[in-house]
Amino acid sequence: MTTATMEGTEPRRLSQVGFKAIVRALLKHKLSRVGLVIIVLLFSMAIFAPVLAPYHPNEQDLYSVLQGPTKKHWLGTDNVGRDLLSRVIYGARLSMSVGVVATAFSATIGVIVGLIAGYKGGWIDQIIMRITDTFMVIPGLVFVLVMASALGPGIKNVVIAIILFTWPGFARIIRGQVLSVRELPYVEAARASGSSGLRIMFKHLLPNSLAPVIVASALSLGAAVGIEAGAAFLGVGVQPPTASWGKALRTGYSYLERVPLFSIAPGLLITAAVLSFTLVGDGLRDALDPRLRGEGKKIK
Amino acid sequence: MGMREYITRRIIYALIILALSTVLLFGMVRLLPGDPIRAAMQQNVDLTDESIVQEVRARYGLDKPVHIQFVLWLRDFVKGDWGTSLSSGEPVWDMFLRRLPVTLLLFVGATFWAWVIGIPLGIFSALNRNSYLDASFTGISIVGISIPVFWEAILLIYALAVIIKIFPPSGYVPFFTSPWQNFMCIVLPTFVMGTQSAGSFSRYIRSSLLEVLGQDYIRTARAKGLREKAVVWKHAAKPALIPVVTVIGLSWGHLIAGSFIVEFMFAIPGLGRMGVDAVFARDFPVLQATLILVVINVLFANLLVDILYGYLDPRVRVQK
Amino acid sequence: MKPLLEVKNLHTHFLTDDGLVKAVGGISYDLHEGETLGLVGESGCGKSVSALSILRLIPNPPGKVVEGEVFFEGRDLMKVSEDEIREVRGNKIAMIFQEPMTSLNPVLTIGYQIAEPLTLHKGLSKEESWKEAGELLTKVQIPEAAARLRAYPHLFSGGMRQRVMIAMGLGCNPKLIIADEPTTALDVTIQAQLLELMKGLTRDFGTALIIITHNLGVVARYADRVNVMYAGRIVEKGSAKEIYGDPRHPYTIGLMASVPRLDMDVKKKLIPIEGQPPDLLHIPAGCAFRPRCNYAVEKCQEVIPELTTLADKHEVACWVDVRRN
Repeated sequence: MTTATMEGTEPRRLSQVGFKAIVRALLKHKLSRVGLVIIVLLFSMAIFAPVLAPYHPNEQDLYSVLQGPTKKHWLGTDNVGRDLLSRVIYGARLSMSVGVVATAFSATIGVIVGLIAGYKGGWIDQIIMRITDTFMVIPGLVFVLVMASALGPGIKNVVIAIILFTWPGFARIIRGQVLSVRELPYVEAARASGSSGLRIMFKHLLPNSLAPVIVASALSLGAAVGIEAGAAFLGVGVQPPTASWGKALRTGYSYLERVPLFSIAPGLLITAAVLSFTLVGDGLRDALDPRLRGEGKKIK
Repeated sequence: MGMREYITRRIIYALIILALSTVLLFGMVRLLPGDPIRAAMQQNVDLTDESIVQEVRARYGLDKPVHIQFVLWLRDFVKGDWGTSLSSGEPVWDMFLRRLPVTLLLFVGATFWAWVIGIPLGIFSALNRNSYLDASFTGISIVGISIPVFWEAILLIYALAVIIKIFPPSGYVPFFTSPWQNFMCIVLPTFVMGTQSAGSFSRYIRSSLLEVLGQDYIRTARAKGLREKAVVWKHAAKPALIPVVTVIGLSWGHLIAGSFIVEFMFAIPGLGRMGVDAVFARDFPVLQATLILVVINVLFANLLVDILYGYLDPRVRVQK
Repeated sequence: MKPLLEVKNLHTHFLTDDGLVKAVGGISYDLHEGETLGLVGESGCGKSVSALSILRLIPNPPGKVVEGEVFFEGRDLMKVSEDEIREVRGNKIAMIFQEPMTSLNPVLTIGYQIAEPLTLHKGLSKEESWKEAGELLTKVQIPEAAARLRAYPHLFSGGMRQRVMIAMGLGCNPKLIIADEPTTALDVTIQAQLLELMKGLTRDFGTALIIITHNLGVVARYADRVNVMYAGRIVEKGSAKEIYGDPRHPYTIGLMASVPRLDMDVKKKLIPIEGQPPDLLHIPAGCAFRPRCNYAVEKCQEVIPELTTLADKHEVACWVDVRRN
């Protein structure tokens, strides 16, 4: 599924870009700006869901089941008479938190493991890299399915599965960065002046790897949201009655001809979420990529 | 030349990863809590009768320690004895052989779409950099990368099978039954499977070509008096497309994830469908075989890319 | 006799994200057949850009020749059609680039790259052009030339690649070769070999040569005439002898004092030029060299000095007569 979004997140000489430069690049790049706006909207939707949603997401109106849009229910109702708009708004909570939690964990694990691999080198590096290779040959959605069949369905298992297949990407990026930065004069100087390994790693190597990690995080957030929705769609993700876009899409799919909005609304939101993170990640990568930068303007 | 050594190295490397991932997947399926036999038997067997449970466990070798199970399973797997399905009782090997051509057809179709759409989009974007054409192609590509497979499938089914009835909404007709119907059956599924790859190809080719066009040797080519066309196709295309081989290989490996969902949604009897069904039925012999196939497919694609890369890029040939 | 190349008031600008860069701000010079001209200056002074401008090889975006004429064999290269300028490129005027490691295409064979201009401009068949490519490689003293045609550039050392570049440039017997820092990236001994080779070959073929360099030693030895550039303008022109023996611009004097010379008293100290090279985004009013100049007077802040003739062909752009001080 969305695993392919992780392609090409390997460092393309993105190092040595400060935080300010990243923000500037993000704001300058048009597509990234569009992505940022959507992300802000989605997060607001998740945070202020109780304020925004006209109904409680689980409240059933059994007199109006599978309705199209009405004054009472702007987006209509689902197969058990719940307000679709409210379900969709609450669905943002699940998607966004799955994305954030999974990415936070996998980035942390990946960064630590990658730092160790790159800094220590030798057989430690070899072993760690072979482990990441092993995890990376299993496509994300397949991983989720296996976890679900082994541990049973449920959102926790989906998150664990997402973490398991995304951390190696981060580890590889960081390792690549460390290898390229390790030989730089100032790091050598720090080592020569007796700084401890840990200190060098966190003070010198980590800040240099900020840009690629942010790019990868954005892409991984998108991937996580997509995988979660996919798992829910296949029926192994979140369990009822929690509001979930993927779940709604699955149910709505059965009523596609009768109430198209039932599947269109959640589908659009999933797409918007994945798209916005991809836009930011992709735009940031382009904006920070020195090979593609500084093209200047055409003189007429 | 060192080419043989290079290939040998890549093969050994792939085998190591295969071994590690086999262990990982075997462990995940068998070691994690939950008893597959109990789960599978829940419906039709009285689970209070321990002796029946024990008998079934013994039949599937589940009464032995895990590492012994692994060795036995591996031995049988290599011999082509992949066990029998818990739900249908059919040998997994037979299921695999029957379904392989279907999934391969989908893969080829998806790759076709990805190439036909992704490659021109990327090239035109790069050659018309920063134009409106470039911007819209970039937009299309990113949407293609982001759009969830199942959502795209729903949209296409709704538009082209429900509203305008061009394609069947689901189902599969084998090629030898009716080539035309077979073709109509796979148009939508392959398009959906190929979309994401098309998007990544386009993005990758754009940046790869742009990077190459900024190289010194392109200036050299222009200084020779070559036409811009010759500069692009003779001097830039090859170095720009060589790294793209990697992405093409990667995406082939990951098409399987798409096939899981697509075969499920379009009711196509391929390996992806087999995997999804096995997950729901907790049919672990089938699941295990499917997973190993997924990994072998990814590794095989990667290996092919490495070898191809070695042939295409003269710089790799001499590296040790 | 009419000069082979006449550059008149050439201006090349770049529009970058940070602003307009006037990389070349109005330069003029002549070059006669068979003559060797040295274009000297610090990096970023516009010498490479001015050379690329002659063949319209400045990519737009971000750059463009905004003004000026370049007469070559009676035609203004800035005005001829795209087809006509392509006929000149690699055929009448060849370029040899700075970075031998990156200026050859890594995925094409040496033979193909040398043969390409021959098929393009001389209309040779593939076999003929490969045969000639082999001969050219022999001319630039690459042993076992014929066997090496099928090799890829990465198997060659930097010096060897630069020989390949020279062979590529000589292929169509051009009237003019522009060598942009041809030896900077190489070892000193190899630099000398290559320059000798290039000088020898251009002499044999009667080819005019523009050597772009920041190395005054190279200029002193190989050039007939020298243009010293600073911040996109020529500040001093003259024969190599005049520039060496009687530099008149404070910048040229500074350059001379900052490099070791064989004819110099060993006890004399090398004096580096003070200050930073000019920022082309913010060129000060008046003379661009003024902030670093020891001779500056008030007038230098206001008016850009034009080139004025001192002797026969020795020109300098300075308000001060440095010999008086």
